Amino acid sequence: MERVASPDLYQVDLERFRGPLDLLLHLIRNQDIDIFDIPIARITAQFLAAIDRADHLELERAGEFLEMAATLVRIKAQMLFPRRVEGGEEEDPRAELVRRLLEYEHFREAARLLEDAERDRSRRWQRGYVEVRPAPASGVPLETTWDEVWEAVLRFAARATEPEPGYRFRGRLVRIEEKIELVLGALRESRRVEFAALVSPWGTRMHAVVSLLACLELAKRSAVLVRQSAPFTPLWVYRRRRGEE
Amino acid sequence: MRASRVVEAVLFASQAPVSAAELARVDEDLDEERVEEAVAELRVEYEREGRAFGIFEIGGGYQLLTRPEFAPVLERFDSVPANARLSAPALETLAIIAYRQPVGRAEIEEIRGVGAGGVLRTLQERELVEVVGRGEGLGRPLLYGTTRRFLEHFGFRSIEDLPRPEELPVVLSQRSEEVKPNGA
Repeated sequence: MERVASPDLYQVDLERFRGPLDLLLHLIRNQDIDIFDIPIARITAQFLAAIDRADHLELERAGEFLEMAATLVRIKAQMLFPRRVEGGEEEDPRAELVRRLLEYEHFREAARLLEDAERDRSRRWQRGYVEVRPAPASGVPLETTWDEVWEAVLRFAARATEPEPGYRFRGRLVRIEEKIELVLGALRESRRVEFAALVSPWGTRMHAVVSLLACLELAKRSAVLVRQSAPFTPLWVYRRRRGEE
Repeated sequence: MRASRVVEAVLFASQAPVSAAELARVDEDLDEERVEEAVAELRVEYEREGRAFGIFEIGGGYQLLTRPEFAPVLERFDSVPANARLSAPALETLAIIAYRQPVGRAEIEEIRGVGAGGVLRTLQERELVEVVGRGEGLGRPLLYGTTRRFLEHFGFRSIEDLPRPEELPVVLSQRSEEVKPNGA
């Protein structure tokens, strides 16, 4: 039996691996181990050490790794006993694991080739994919007259001198589901809608905040795109085209 | 009107790949063979004139796409966020489905050694895979296969166009047989 190398000599981060087979392959390939003659005690120790170090693994993922750990321990035990000979041919307890590892390795390689193809395809554009950017507003010269400024001052002054009401009341609760419906409704009519247009019928801060949350939620669900060409310019909400990622 | 111009017009106006059969249907003078000739003619013309686009065969059809060397320019110009790339688990699951289709969830999970429910749902939502039938056995499990959208996403002409990693065909053909660890 081979000596068990100190597992701490070989540290791996479990989060990086797509599953127990990925981790096992990493341990085997990175130590130049012959896959047809796996030193099962050493690999088992390293595998268990890797699981041991991962403290916050979600339950389902942890189960997958533990199942493999159990398999490894079982194989290790079987290796200790003299092998049963049937018809003169002895069955290596590692055979099934090796078959699975090789099979998984092939598909991992196939996935890598798919990724290359995906990158290659994404470097070629089809027609209609490019949308012309709106011209930046910053280039437009600012034109205003003193009359307009004075008018604005008067409007502000009028608002400031409105009497404070002697009472406060809580507005109706604004629900995000309501706003999501509103956004989707607006986008059924046209391909895009300006965020300000979604808010203006109400104009209160709470409506604006919840509308924004609704847009972000829809963007997360990949139902809309939210775009702004530069800070402080109009915010646009776009309907996502069917079939577009 | 020359056949190549008709084909060019349709390809120019289409966002998705158009098959030779679909192209042949747009004009009485066209059949699939003439369409193929027209495509070849256009390709020579684009090549000669050094056009920024070319005709690519994707998902069983023809599509006008820009040439890869213009990617840096378009990336800068394009205001629409680039397609989200698929995650590693999604690519692995897709690879298994692509090479083994029709295939059930149990076999996918067996090969990857991890659960596949969430990934399968995502792939279905993105219309990259679909249920193509039901298997034999307990509960008659759903079987999955790839879609035309899958071919478009990766730019493959057909499912035979899939890249083959070395030795992969060996494993594929021996799926039910025992692979001896000391064999080969």
